[in-house]
Amino acid sequence: MRTRRLLLTAALFWTTLLVGPTLSPAPARVRINGSTTVNPVVVDAAKMLRSEEDIEILIDTVGGSSGGIAALGDGRIEIAMSSRPLSDDDRRRFPRTDFRAVRIGVDALALVVSRDVWEAGVHSLSPEQIRDLYEGRVRSWREVGGPDRRVVFFNKEPGRGTWEVFVNWLYQGADHAPFVNLPEVGSNEEGRNKVASTPGSITQLSAAWADGEQIFALGLRTHRGRVIYPTEDRLVDGSYPLARSLFVISDGLPRGETALVIGFLTSSRGQQLVTRHGFSPLPAFREDLSP
Amino acid sequence: MRKVVDHIFRFGTGACATLSCALLLGIAGTIFLRALPALDGSLLAGSADARFAQGDLAFQILGTLLLVSTALIVSTPIAVGLALAKSVYLGPGAARAMRLGLFAANGVPSIVFGILGLVVFAKFLDWGKSWLAGGIVLGLMILPTMTVALVERIEALPTRYLQAATGLGLNRSQLVRSVILPQSRGGLVAGGLLGLARAAGETAPIMFTAAVFSGATVPDGIRDSPVLALPYHIFVLAQDTYDVDARTRMWAAAFVLLSLVFLFSLVSLPARLHSTEEARFG
Amino acid sequence: MNRSPEVIRWLAVGTSVLAVIFGLSMLGLLLLESLPIFRHQGADYLTGTLWHFRGGQFGALPMIYGTLVVSAVALLCATPIALGAALFTAEVVPFRLRMWIKVPIELLAGVPSVVYGLLGVLLLRNLIYRLLKPFAPLSGDTLLTAGVLLAVMILPTVMTLADDALRAVPASQRRAARGLGLTLTETAHRVSLPQALPGLVAAVLLGLGRALGETIAVFLVVGRQDNRWPEFLLSLRPLTEAGQTLTSKMGGSETFIAYGDPVHWAAMVGLALVLIVLVVSLTLASGWLLPGRRHRA
Repeated sequence: MRTRRLLLTAALFWTTLLVGPTLSPAPARVRINGSTTVNPVVVDAAKMLRSEEDIEILIDTVGGSSGGIAALGDGRIEIAMSSRPLSDDDRRRFPRTDFRAVRIGVDALALVVSRDVWEAGVHSLSPEQIRDLYEGRVRSWREVGGPDRRVVFFNKEPGRGTWEVFVNWLYQGADHAPFVNLPEVGSNEEGRNKVASTPGSITQLSAAWADGEQIFALGLRTHRGRVIYPTEDRLVDGSYPLARSLFVISDGLPRGETALVIGFLTSSRGQQLVTRHGFSPLPAFREDLSP
Repeated sequence: MRKVVDHIFRFGTGACATLSCALLLGIAGTIFLRALPALDGSLLAGSADARFAQGDLAFQILGTLLLVSTALIVSTPIAVGLALAKSVYLGPGAARAMRLGLFAANGVPSIVFGILGLVVFAKFLDWGKSWLAGGIVLGLMILPTMTVALVERIEALPTRYLQAATGLGLNRSQLVRSVILPQSRGGLVAGGLLGLARAAGETAPIMFTAAVFSGATVPDGIRDSPVLALPYHIFVLAQDTYDVDARTRMWAAAFVLLSLVFLFSLVSLPARLHSTEEARFG
Repeated sequence: MNRSPEVIRWLAVGTSVLAVIFGLSMLGLLLLESLPIFRHQGADYLTGTLWHFRGGQFGALPMIYGTLVVSAVALLCATPIALGAALFTAEVVPFRLRMWIKVPIELLAGVPSVVYGLLGVLLLRNLIYRLLKPFAPLSGDTLLTAGVLLAVMILPTVMTLADDALRAVPASQRRAARGLGLTLTETAHRVSLPQALPGLVAAVLLGLGRALGETIAVFLVVGRQDNRWPEFLLSLRPLTEAGQTLTSKMGGSETFIAYGDPVHWAAMVGLALVLIVLVVSLTLASGWLLPGRRHRA
């Protein structure tokens, strides 16, 4: 008898749970996945859009930029977030996908170091030095003017947009990048966390994420000895070499809710979010939004 | 001399036991203390936005509950069928084979369930991320646990019940319906709660099939209807522990998950211990 | 006499048959999905020490090594304590007090792996880093960290099963031994332990199985550095360095990136296959050693 009542209650619960949402008009749904660099902006945008437009926006950052592009190519999502431009390899892997990338901002990619390295005097590096560090030829910070400590290079997972931009700059292409064995970090959050908690560490990270308290963004030294720091001005005037665009990508021309989201990100309100997270907005908005 | 050895043994083993208990207290205590600053009313407010700065966990809790209850519903009928087959209907050879099979299935790592779920639900059936897929995968994962709990209960039934029933002329199925099933309800409850505890805490099976980090509230269908879930939430946050505020919120989420799991486990204990004692004295 | 048609019987047996078919087909699915990598590389997949997915090279040996090292550390740390605690509850402590120890241990067994991972990232990692300072470690993410974390995770499992095995020895035998003048220690040593030995071995094997298959906690603290292959197989140096295990690889983002590429995807599924073979053979071995005993998650 009790069992029967239990079963009845369970059936009622499940029916309500399953039927209820089905009866109400389904909100439009936009699935977004990709870069952890672009993510904070899109998450804030989604929060605003969700309440204003009644769109359901699902965001995840599995696999970073490459994961997002792969998901878009597989048709599993509507918008991919990427911190690197689309490559021929992407188009080759997904021939049936009509990738349309929309730029939503500009970011300075930097080599960031832990506090002890910065405070010992290492404020910039040349490309040759970075290559030496990356490939393991330089093992102690002393060799580049830093403290007597082991170099811990946390490598961004190959496949992350940040990594691709980095090797494209340092080696003119991911295919030319040497094969290295370094401890890996996935998301920007993890990279930041590891560098902040490990003395003598360095990683590739968006300069916007360096807070100047525990993590510091290094400047880049050119052949002529000039040091360019990843600041807003250097980004805007184009002198910082590792500037990269941030993209949202759709399959074909954005339509419906997808167009709404992308349109929002490229509107002045969306661009405000971009600046708020430390990136440089699109040129059209630069005057209005600079401090 | 022998006495000295005896004392050393007692002391040494006692130390081991104390260490083990201390570990538990340490873990629970650490989580509780670190979660304390974040444990206020806002914890249970609901927001689909899972930026770490927010501590509200309502949708994560809801998602976890949905997943584990689906798992239970999926697993229970199969567990009953398997348990009955093993302890009542099958011959000794087949029963032994099934015991080994359950053992083997119980040992399969949860990540393998997750990958299988990815292949079957996301790839073959093209469901995208679905709460139902997650629930089914979890249900299959806890199936061995539940079956074994039930089998133990059934095999622990005092033989005098069964002898009396057979003496009255009942066949095996009638025996099952009127004696075994009612008497082993405790085992079902115990196994179910144990399964719930385990399913609630698992991350690997759901991170490929059902969970997202932000955006989901209440699922409204089956395909492309993910949920938020406590374990996955904590897993993502654990990779970003830089922000002190975020860290506290994360401890709070861990505290909620731990409390949930402990609740299930504690409630199942009396039922489980009861069956042991009955087996020994019944 | 009302003979109910043996519907229940058919349902029960039918469910079992379906379960077996299902289990086998899942295994078959894994084999099928991983076929491309064996065609691509053959046995080199299992013996190769280079994993470079962009270059199409997939060698799983360093990960198998990582998995084994981490599990070995876990076993070495956890087994003595677990056995000691089990001996305490089964041999030394009177019945009523037993519960006071068993209950916390049972609860410990239920702590989710992500919570362990959290504790590992925020607490254990820094501890090990400071401990290993004389050896100039890279960071707190090492094989040792993962091993110690796993040790805490498998402790309750091994302890409970060992306790069960010891308690299976009839109390009458203990009473007889004590009656003959043996101390508690000698009783445990000469009476309980020898008889419980198969069960104890099974307990350890099951703990090992759990250690081999743990993903989340290991993922967060092992460093995830590929292709760490030691110069000398038995050297202890790798313990102070980061590494990669089968599970930490599968739990990472490569599983998502590999999705569209048949060979890369097959390589990832192959890892799962290797893991299953390792774990299931261990669990079957322990199941064979425990005739009729209870086994637990």
